[in-house]
Amino acid sequence: MNGRRAQHRRAPTRQLLLGVVVVLAALLGGVIWLEALHPQLDATGNVVEGAPPLALDEQPTCRRFVDETPIVDIRERLESEAGRARIREGFPSGGRVSSTQVFLCPSAYDGMEVTYVGEVVGELLRRRGGAWAQVNDDDYALRTGPLVGHRERAGFNTGLSVWLPEQLAERVEQPGRPALRGDVVLLRGTILRADPDDGGGLTLRATQLETLAPPLAIDPPLHVLQIVVAAVLSVVALGTTLWARRVRRR
Amino acid sequence: MTAILRPDATDLKLIGYYLGKVLLGLGLLQLIPLVTALALREWNSASSFAIGAAIAIIAWAVSDARLASRQPLTWAHGMVIVALAWLLGPIVAAVPMYLSGRFTDPVHALFEAMSALTTTGMSVIHDLDHTPVSEDLFRHLLQITGGLGIIIVVLSVFAAGGARMTTLYVSEARDERVLPNIIRTARFIFQVATTLFVVGTTALFIALIATGFSPGRAVYHAVNLFFSSFSTGGFSVMQSSMIYYHSAAVEFIVALIMIAGTLSFGLHLALWRGNPRDVLRHLETRTLAVTTSILFLLLCIGLVRAGSYDTLEALLRKGLFTLVSAASSTGHQVNVGDTYLYDWGLLAPAAIVGAMAIGGMASSTAGGIKAMRVGVTFKSLTHEIRRILLPEAALVVTTYHAGRRQVLRDESARAATTVLLLFIASYLLGILAALAYGELDLTQAIFESVSVGSNIGVSIGVVNPGMPDGLVLVYLLQMWVGRLEFVAAFALLGYLFSLARGRAST
Repeated sequence: MNGRRAQHRRAPTRQLLLGVVVVLAALLGGVIWLEALHPQLDATGNVVEGAPPLALDEQPTCRRFVDETPIVDIRERLESEAGRARIREGFPSGGRVSSTQVFLCPSAYDGMEVTYVGEVVGELLRRRGGAWAQVNDDDYALRTGPLVGHRERAGFNTGLSVWLPEQLAERVEQPGRPALRGDVVLLRGTILRADPDDGGGLTLRATQLETLAPPLAIDPPLHVLQIVVAAVLSVVALGTTLWARRVRRR
Repeated sequence: MTAILRPDATDLKLIGYYLGKVLLGLGLLQLIPLVTALALREWNSASSFAIGAAIAIIAWAVSDARLASRQPLTWAHGMVIVALAWLLGPIVAAVPMYLSGRFTDPVHALFEAMSALTTTGMSVIHDLDHTPVSEDLFRHLLQITGGLGIIIVVLSVFAAGGARMTTLYVSEARDERVLPNIIRTARFIFQVATTLFVVGTTALFIALIATGFSPGRAVYHAVNLFFSSFSTGGFSVMQSSMIYYHSAAVEFIVALIMIAGTLSFGLHLALWRGNPRDVLRHLETRTLAVTTSILFLLLCIGLVRAGSYDTLEALLRKGLFTLVSAASSTGHQVNVGDTYLYDWGLLAPAAIVGAMAIGGMASSTAGGIKAMRVGVTFKSLTHEIRRILLPEAALVVTTYHAGRRQVLRDESARAATTVLLLFIASYLLGILAALAYGELDLTQAIFESVSVGSNIGVSIGVVNPGMPDGLVLVYLLQMWVGRLEFVAAFALLGYLFSLARGRAST
């Protein structure tokens, strides 16, 4: 008898908990479904042409004060026969480097003249004699364009802080913004691991700039279904709010 | 033996009713980015915020109509409501985030939302530098809301039932009531935040204009920087974080705002009332001053010995700023994450890990073990040593200043060391989980786990959009229990146990 009464009491608790689980599952399913239906643009046409190959194919690491052997190794490889061949082709001794390569062993690139390719993003912060620019060389800059209307998710933005002298800064047409890829530029300059003019920041002091690709504006495709769902849910929210007010008044 | 009573439907309804209020707060919060998105013609973002807001408001309306109750809140209710609010809040906030298409999967979107609300500041967003303005603003709004405390925000907006709310306030890992009345406490916190917002954003605006920003963009960056700094959250508008600004002035102002964020609201009140002596003799202030000084010395030795920097300016702008960012539990970065592993040697990152573990002050927006607990633990250690050294008949009394002169009691010492040990257990869990994936070394695993577990946000690069879901889930758990400082999380576990195994009340 007591057991049956206890079981009877347990029912509303179970129903409440089950209801919560069902609502959360429906929410998860609905959100995944809606995101999956987002109209997509073809991003293959956003690849930047004309960037020279990287001087090193891999991304060697070193650890200052712990494992410094790779520092010498990287410098030697960049200044090897292949490196010299690149000099003959008109590239600086360091060849083209990526920001990730520099971050993984900054000491190896310190003071080295290199080529670097990337997209100017954010704003040009003009100071006396030039401007600071954030130049990203991630996939959004060089391969897919901004993550708008496609699902080519390629992780974080990565890039170098670049000091552009006045005459180079003037040649940047438009830095990247939401739904806009900024100028993609080929830079030549010197890497400074702890730039005294930037409070010890890792920078590239540019001396030459070529524009590889002009700014690219992307028109995000409208997710019509999402807008319809938003409108319906907004009406339901308004209706539920009015209903709740009436119930509470009673 | 006392039997555990099973909570009944009335208890669950009460919990649901208060959770509804928290959801309403988060729903209304989404109206700000919604309006921003409409103004900037970011239509897809606008529709995702409309969906997120509508879901939250519907949940509130149903709970308000169906679950309203006059039953008083018990401590158990308060703890469970707060623990669940810090789970449900991120779930609701993750809805527009995932719909933005900028996250690998829903778990990563949930990580971002949890990181924002718990003011951890670790991010897994793809392509932040091209993110629509409204979506970025939403991330920063979540940080300031979470930093002040979801419950505090709800209290300030829907101030009602002050007596009932005390239990919620304390459950939200705020053990120090600033003013006797809980609603007045909530409003005081809001008042401090608003005043500092005006002063802080104005100072940042001027510095950003001098840095080369246009007025419009300077306002946008200043507002977001204030939100993420005062909340000790550490999100940034650009992926390169503070590196982006190349400005000592901006870094200095942000450092001041971070320190303001890490001060307990009790000390804010003392300053507000023109009583700086209270601040200077407070155990937390002294603990933070001593630990930060020692850690700064170690940091400098580490950086100079490793040859990372050789100028005073670099030591201050790269070293000290990172230390302040870590100690305040903010997480703003003036270095790329890889720098800590590849360019700082071993001692300097260890000093940063120490600062992250200690964290900021209790009853502030900061995370970590908290200086108060570290101070009390140290006091209890010296108390024990004195007791051993003095004659057995001697009465050993240890006191400290925390708002007023207090005698160190066994219970406070035990509570402090228990939470300290739980934080260490959380760090160990994160370290083991990271090492289990086999691609990280110990320095990376320790650094990131302490940063996540203390809700700091300085990253060595382990947290990224490609992080495996298993590690994401462990870090989610660490962020959640770290923000709640364990008690409410354990209370929720106990509540679930009593739901399953408890005896029905008669």
